[in-house]
Amino acid sequence: MAGTPGELGAAGGRRGDGVGGSAPGGSGAPGVGAPGTDGTSSGSGGRDGAVADPQPAAPVVEGEPGGHPQRTQQPLLFASGLDVVYEPAGAPVVHAVRGVDLSIDPGEMVGLVGESGCGKSTLGYALTRLLRPPARITAGRVVFDGRDVTALDQGRLRTMRHRGFAVVLQSGMNALNPVRTIDGHFADVLRTHRRVRGAAARQVAEELLGHVELAPTVLDRFPHELSGGMRQRVVIALALALQPKLVVFDEPTTALDVLVQRAVMDTIARLQAEVGFSALVISHDLGLVLGTADRAWVMYAGRIVERRESAALAGAPLHPYSAALLACHGDPTADNVQLGGIPGSPPDLSVPPQGCSFAPRCWMKEPVCRNDPPERVIGTGTVACHLAPRKLVVPRALEATVLASTAGGMGVGQNSTDGTATYDGRAALSAGPGPGASDGPALSPGAAAAPDGAAWAVRRRRSLERVEPEALVLQDVVKQFRTARRTGGRAGGRADGAWPGVGRARSSTVRAVDGVSLSLEPGHAVGLVGASGSGKTTLGRMMAGMDRPSSGTIRLGGLRVETMRSRDLPRYWQRVQMVFQDPYAGLNPVHTVGYAIGRALRNHQRLRDDRLRSELHRLLEVVGLTPSGQFSAKLPHQLSGGQRQRVVIARALAAKPQVLVADEPVSMLDVSLRAGILRLLDELRRDTGVSLLYITHDLLSARLVTDHLLVLQKGRVVESGPTASVLRSPSHSYTKQLIEAIPVVA
Amino acid sequence: MWRTGRKLVGTLWADRKARAGASILALFVLVAVLAPVLSPYSPTATSFARSAPASWSHPLGTTGSGQDALSQLLFGTRVSLLVGFGAGLAATSLAMLVGVVAGYVRGPLEVVLGFLTNLFLVIPGVPLMIVLAAYLPSRGVGTVLVVVSVTGWAWGARVLRAQTTTLASREFVAAARMAGEGTWRIVWHEIVPNMVSLLAASFFAASTAAVLAEAALEFLGLGNPATISWGTMLFWAENSNALLTGQWALLVAPGLCIALLASAMSLVNFGIDAIGNPKLRER
Ligand SMILES: Nc1ncnc2c1ncn2[C@@H]1O[C@H](COP(=O)(O)OP(=O)(O)O)[C@@H](O)[C@H]1O
Ligand code: SF4
Ligand SMILES: [Mg+2]
Repeated sequence: MAGTPGELGAAGGRRGDGVGGSAPGGSGAPGVGAPGTDGTSSGSGGRDGAVADPQPAAPVVEGEPGGHPQRTQQPLLFASGLDVVYEPAGAPVVHAVRGVDLSIDPGEMVGLVGESGCGKSTLGYALTRLLRPPARITAGRVVFDGRDVTALDQGRLRTMRHRGFAVVLQSGMNALNPVRTIDGHFADVLRTHRRVRGAAARQVAEELLGHVELAPTVLDRFPHELSGGMRQRVVIALALALQPKLVVFDEPTTALDVLVQRAVMDTIARLQAEVGFSALVISHDLGLVLGTADRAWVMYAGRIVERRESAALAGAPLHPYSAALLACHGDPTADNVQLGGIPGSPPDLSVPPQGCSFAPRCWMKEPVCRNDPPERVIGTGTVACHLAPRKLVVPRALEATVLASTAGGMGVGQNSTDGTATYDGRAALSAGPGPGASDGPALSPGAAAAPDGAAWAVRRRRSLERVEPEALVLQDVVKQFRTARRTGGRAGGRADGAWPGVGRARSSTVRAVDGVSLSLEPGHAVGLVGASGSGKTTLGRMMAGMDRPSSGTIRLGGLRVETMRSRDLPRYWQRVQMVFQDPYAGLNPVHTVGYAIGRALRNHQRLRDDRLRSELHRLLEVVGLTPSGQFSAKLPHQLSGGQRQRVVIARALAAKPQVLVADEPVSMLDVSLRAGILRLLDELRRDTGVSLLYITHDLLSARLVTDHLLVLQKGRVVESGPTASVLRSPSHSYTKQLIEAIPVVA
Repeated sequence: MWRTGRKLVGTLWADRKARAGASILALFVLVAVLAPVLSPYSPTATSFARSAPASWSHPLGTTGSGQDALSQLLFGTRVSLLVGFGAGLAATSLAMLVGVVAGYVRGPLEVVLGFLTNLFLVIPGVPLMIVLAAYLPSRGVGTVLVVVSVTGWAWGARVLRAQTTTLASREFVAAARMAGEGTWRIVWHEIVPNMVSLLAASFFAASTAAVLAEAALEFLGLGNPATISWGTMLFWAENSNALLTGQWALLVAPGLCIALLASAMSLVNFGIDAIGNPKLRER
């Protein structure tokens, strides 16, 4: 049944040869269609239709080198030459998926990774026929379980939903009907798809919930009474109610915090092995995928640029893009931590590519890259790069080492022993011009252009003379919320709505922050880590003067947050500013970048006209948005997530603050963009002497930009100390859990 | 504000229904402006045969008091549009003021405004309108306009209030506060520009209601019967038993115009809905 020349089959060997057993997650092991076994047991597990159907017997792979290594086993799903376009009214056609060939075996788990906008979701939807206009499959076909799905009408398609494919969406957990109990959701699905009702349905539902490790009592709850992780489990159980052969998970854990994310992924892997369905896990997080899937596909600009065994990909990526993605992960407990980033962003898919679409961001490109690279079979996988399999070394954007002396300004000081975050391991307060900031417009128009970074440093120093830098000191800070409703109401960027005690204690008070003391010294960076609901954001908001503590004191020099009148707040905000989590919600869609930053300059620094304009341009250059003239006229929707976050940071800097509170500033960004933002924060701290409270649940970034770490659990500080030592030798069990939840890559 | 407004118009034009509605509206506006040019006679001239049937010189016939019905119909467009747009504007302004303030401020003012809105929502509009119209001293177009505005703002206020509350909790509002912006600045420059499509929707909804209400008031004889409008045409046609004399055009023509104008406004509103509702808009 080989539809491709024998040499491919031979060259490729059986995928899984000798690797299957060692694949991380080991999910393919028991029962159905074990991917690790030799392919000769066609349709293992006796899946009907897979072998019997004569029609698509030969997986035709077009354009020969674009094929994938052949297997003798009949795949559950395969696609060939798949092209998907979006044809929105009044906008250019977007070619989101181009010429993709792929196949998924029964019972195997495949990961699909890539930055957002690379076409992952589009591909996932195309495979399951979930595409809605303006999307359209323009070429190629998808064969599922022996049937050409591309040709099925809606009626036949509906029957495929049962015992066919199911899809779990990231937004799925927010799509549960708020006025129906979980029981109601199951009743609907079971009635329409499996004709099971009443008590029988309830029993099936309880069983399904058991699969995803939820108690039967969940059935009587409403969606809003469940935490994000629980809701996502419910959605998975609902998908399983259809008894699917293939489940597509689109970013199943992206909105969840690390601990929950790990737990949900483990559940998926376990279920997949036990129940035996095939799974396609779509994620922008390579670490997550490599930790669970048997095989991984890396997608870039609508093509699959590399497909390998997960372990092989983690060990030695062959495509520069995969290597760069991989470099965005790291082990925060290592001696020397480096973080790579990928400058630039995925290409505009409405423009036909000229040669390799990764070329504009590739540090290895050569003249030959002007031609479209063919997909080449290497070992058990394929790679679409001219230079493969050359050895790849990825440039690093940010790094931290345990040795203070070699780590520049980011070393870890030794003299911090007490519970408060005090230490000094920093370089000089006002360093010279930062690397990113040079030759901008001068202080006043008409004057000779002075090196801009220097001007910044000079003015910075002047402002520091005006207001002597002082520590932000918190003492026994407590924040209580009265009811669950109130705390849930201003969830802001809270991904997981789960507060300690919500759902259990409905009427009583919740202590979101429970007696925290700390001191943020000028020029220092303190990290605040913890799962969602641990009180990080609440603490950050109080420190930024957005909320008042229920008791305790927050002082910055003579300013006291707990007693401040609202008309004095602007004075506080001249010295303390906040960088918000969600770059999409933090900027008003109707205002230009120039307006947003300009208003802050006007209000806080009282600048007008030319002075305002030159300061605006300088700030844009400081945050790396050049040419500044162009950026100041842009509206938020014209910017990428990373660029927006830079604008948010520039706006915060417009007040010339002494303290920046950054609440998960990179959690909504693609991993590839994180390094850039983190480096910016780090440089700002070194060049301008601003001190930083960095809130995150990502220990890696905390390691890179902070020198002191506080671990928060249920509103209390359970551990604190120099970042590297806390991470390398955690003493509290909760800290250990957090560290264990990090997906291990390579 | 100006920019989003322009974008709104652009997107609207791309929507088939909205384009149809806007074209019809534009036609009505043109007729209203050019009424003196288009009309064959003065609408108030009573020098023709009374209750004459349709003819070449009077395509819609004449009224019971000997006026040319076509000329009346053309001039009547002015009153309908004036009351429609005028009351729409007034009601929307009131709705915006009450809704946005109630949605943004905390404390007693919020409670009072909320109460006021709910009060006007529960009082049935038509009886209130009739009572107001019956007791107000003057009965000109201005009165009708005031009555229709006063009874028509509450729904919009509630919608705008809800939207303001959501927008006020968005991070960009918190960011604007931290950037040192004052309350009014935040309301007018951060929140309101994000409600342009909602404001436009309430405007067209209020205008549609106003057109219908105006016609109803005039038809019931609660307006000034000397005004020339579609409502008064209906009123006089009914009074002179136009149907019995076979002059159905006197009832049908203004009735059709009212229905057409109201539908045109609703069509434009469909388009605005599609913009405001992401489910209908794709992504
Ligand atoms: N409804 C749509 N209309 C036009 N273009 C779209 C639409 N949805 C997605 N796209 C475009 O298709 C490409 C792939 O998007 P998507 O499949 O969502 O990528 P991913 O899942 O990898 O983030 C992107 O360039 C995106 O902008
Ligand atoms: S083909 Fe060239 S540009 Fe493309 S990824 Fe390979 S080396 Fe880079
Ligand atoms: Mg996606």
